[in-house]
Amino acid sequence: MPLLRELQAVFGEALLGGPTEAAAAQILEDGLRPQARLDVYRHHVFTTLTAALQATYPVVCRLVHERFFGYAADQYIRADPPAGPCLFEYGSSFPAFLADFEPCRHLQYLPDVARLEWALNTATHAEQSAALDPVVLSQLPVEDLPGLTLRLDPSLSLLRSPWPIDQIWRVNQPEGGPDATVDLGSGGVSLEVRQMGDHAVFRPLDRAIYAFRGALRRGDCLAEAADVALETNGAFDLPQALRNLFAEQLPVDYEVSSKGPEHG
Amino acid sequence: MTGGDADVAGVPAAAGIGLRAPHVQEVITTRPPIAWLEVHAENYLGGGPALRRLDHLRPEYPISLHGVGLSLGSAIGLDERHLQRLAALIERIEPVLVSEHLSWSVTGGVYLNHLLPLPYTEESLEIVCRHVDQAQVTLGRQILVENAASYLRFRHSPIPEPEFLAELVRRTGCGLLCDVNNIYVSAHNLGFDAVAYVDALPREFVCEIHVAGHARNDADGLTILIDDHGSRVSPEVWSLYAHAVTRLGPVATLVEWDTDIPALDVLLAEASVADGLLYRARPRTPHAATA
Repeated sequence: MPLLRELQAVFGEALLGGPTEAAAAQILEDGLRPQARLDVYRHHVFTTLTAALQATYPVVCRLVHERFFGYAADQYIRADPPAGPCLFEYGSSFPAFLADFEPCRHLQYLPDVARLEWALNTATHAEQSAALDPVVLSQLPVEDLPGLTLRLDPSLSLLRSPWPIDQIWRVNQPEGGPDATVDLGSGGVSLEVRQMGDHAVFRPLDRAIYAFRGALRRGDCLAEAADVALETNGAFDLPQALRNLFAEQLPVDYEVSSKGPEHG
Repeated sequence: MTGGDADVAGVPAAAGIGLRAPHVQEVITTRPPIAWLEVHAENYLGGGPALRRLDHLRPEYPISLHGVGLSLGSAIGLDERHLQRLAALIERIEPVLVSEHLSWSVTGGVYLNHLLPLPYTEESLEIVCRHVDQAQVTLGRQILVENAASYLRFRHSPIPEPEFLAELVRRTGCGLLCDVNNIYVSAHNLGFDAVAYVDALPREFVCEIHVAGHARNDADGLTILIDDHGSRVSPEVWSLYAHAVTRLGPVATLVEWDTDIPALDVLLAEASVADGLLYRARPRTPHAATA
């Protein structure tokens, strides 16, 4: 009899599609082959994890059809099984997996659609943060404003694709008809995804606004973020962009950057 | 905390239902007459809208928190981050009961998403006791430990499951969650006597009962019962349940349904069957059963 730690290691291997002999050797036959008993467990592990991926990536599943999705999920689960028990947190690397998965390499938009679905999943489960009252800005000394950093709503994701992934997502909703088409040549999008009320939503952003919010999200201060946006579009209007940011309740906290290293 | 016929720390000795995503809005809107609700802890650890919806129900229904991911039987130890997240959730929703399973799911940093069986040895007992102690200290409360459904027996597993559970209770002070469907399923799959199993449980420490449906699968020409929570409770499981509540006294009972989830009414009808059997168990069990 191996130690429990060893027994669990060989079971883990067997249940994720690896060799089963070592695990089977520890099981009583009881009228049924030990491998068949292990299969009951293995089947459950794969079907429930596939269902979890399907729940997070319903549009990807619809685009490639359920059978192919099951095949891709099976390969993905073997390659990158979950590290924790919250299934809504499982599958963050599925878009990258799809990008490298030879049988669907020709569907070049697929990984970006998957990224959009992951962003929606993240937004759905994000903790709500109270919006920052814009009045705090008016109380700051004017000279502090350029060095101000704003922390944005943690449910926010920004993603850009050369494909019209927003249209692809929309026509592949359950209520969408089977004949709806998207012109893949209609160009790319810059999308903002976040939690609104009880739902996750997305919308396209103007490229300069996208660049501005992306820079703020990275932790750039206002002056740096405005520079990034101006590089994208020389007509970028910082005061208006700030007003919109607060009207949409995106900032949740702020910090005035200090020069030099921080001490405690 | 003790089981038996008294209400346990705010959980009525009546039927509750497992609250699943497709029913949440309907329960919020219609407020069905059900004694209590149980939710899966792992579905609420992200916070967000799911937790806010649960907040709507908390004033009206006692909530029981049922974990599936703590992996009390993992030899490598408990995931401290998961335990801390559970502690924060418990502080937030103030559940009347907190439960987990006598099983393991984690090895080598991988979560296998199944309640996997343990060999019942002294080594396993020490590991599970250590983890139940750790969980009860971190969570600041007693937890209930549930018997899982099983599809295999280990060559070396000398301690019978009810005895293992009784010893776990004795060493850690945890309570038990007796899953009657799991007993029925395991008894069929492994060939033991389900009634004798129920009779061997330390009755005063059973604080909750689960019932659910199971599936019948063919494996190499042999019928294996699968604990899939995907149908009505079978007549045989209701019969074992009737025996359990006669012996254990009326205990808070949960109807679970997780696959092919039916209309809420179907689930509520199953709960009323449990309520009927609980009611019938009352007169035969003197009130001093837990003394």
